[in-house]
Amino acid sequence: MSTDDVEIGHEIPRLEIVVTGDQVRRYAAAAHMPGQRFVSDEVARKEGLPGRILPGNMSMALLSRMLHDWLPQARIERLGVTFRGIVQPDQKIRCSGFVTDRRETDDGIELECDLILEQGGERRTTGLAVLRLGRGSSTRS
Amino acid sequence: MSDTLPLGLDRSLIGAEFDSSTSEPVAAEDIRAYADALGEAHPSYLGPDPIAPPTFCVKFRGTRFHHTAIPREAFHGGFDAGKDIHFGVPIRPGDVIHTRNVLHDVYEKTGRSGSMVFVVARQTMTNQRGEMIAVIDSRFMLRPKERAE
Repeated sequence: MSTDDVEIGHEIPRLEIVVTGDQVRRYAAAAHMPGQRFVSDEVARKEGLPGRILPGNMSMALLSRMLHDWLPQARIERLGVTFRGIVQPDQKIRCSGFVTDRRETDDGIELECDLILEQGGERRTTGLAVLRLGRGSSTRS
Repeated sequence: MSDTLPLGLDRSLIGAEFDSSTSEPVAAEDIRAYADALGEAHPSYLGPDPIAPPTFCVKFRGTRFHHTAIPREAFHGGFDAGKDIHFGVPIRPGDVIHTRNVLHDVYEKTGRSGSMVFVVARQTMTNQRGEMIAVIDSRFMLRPKERAE
């Protein structure tokens, strides 16, 4: 499938994933996020949380991953997110999105997308992205 | 327009720099570790000379998150409300990242649960060639103490 076929309303292939506690620990270390709430259930509970949580930045990064899984050659120009609720490891995460606008540029196209990260049937992170890519690029589906 | 912002902050603080820092050179292994933790499979993130996934830039946060004029206790009970990132050139191994943080905005919103104050810090990141890596607006939501209790 080519990006020439991507129209407003096109659904981005979903990313469904279970992030392990070990992945969160490695992400927190790699992203220089030292908060113990990301690695320790005990510390997280003392802070009033149900257990350790994903950093908001990791939720944002998973939405970015979904976009690049779909359009590996795209350049993400803008990524904006609102953190609406906590996301926990070892539970299914579903990232989804759809194209809300498509603009022709001199050298390709620009797509605007709405993004959603859900867990337990609730929207935990929402966002938008602007992608730029050459005309005729291929997509994953 | 009032000269005073929520939390009693002077409007002249908008745009004031409160932190700047310069990183050590980025290591290829740091990029691969970041991508691997996310389960990224794209070879450009994982090879011997990787480019960084776009959100890798969030790790360069400087040494201070907010202007010192905002009292530390104001952040108790608050939370990270979101981010808006405009990306420039990608980060590559060997890059040295310079970050500059300014107080970008402070505003109040009233919702069903009462009044909330949003503090927005803007971080501008450039590499050793002066190229723009990213501009990150980070929103932190606070609840004025007298209404939160």
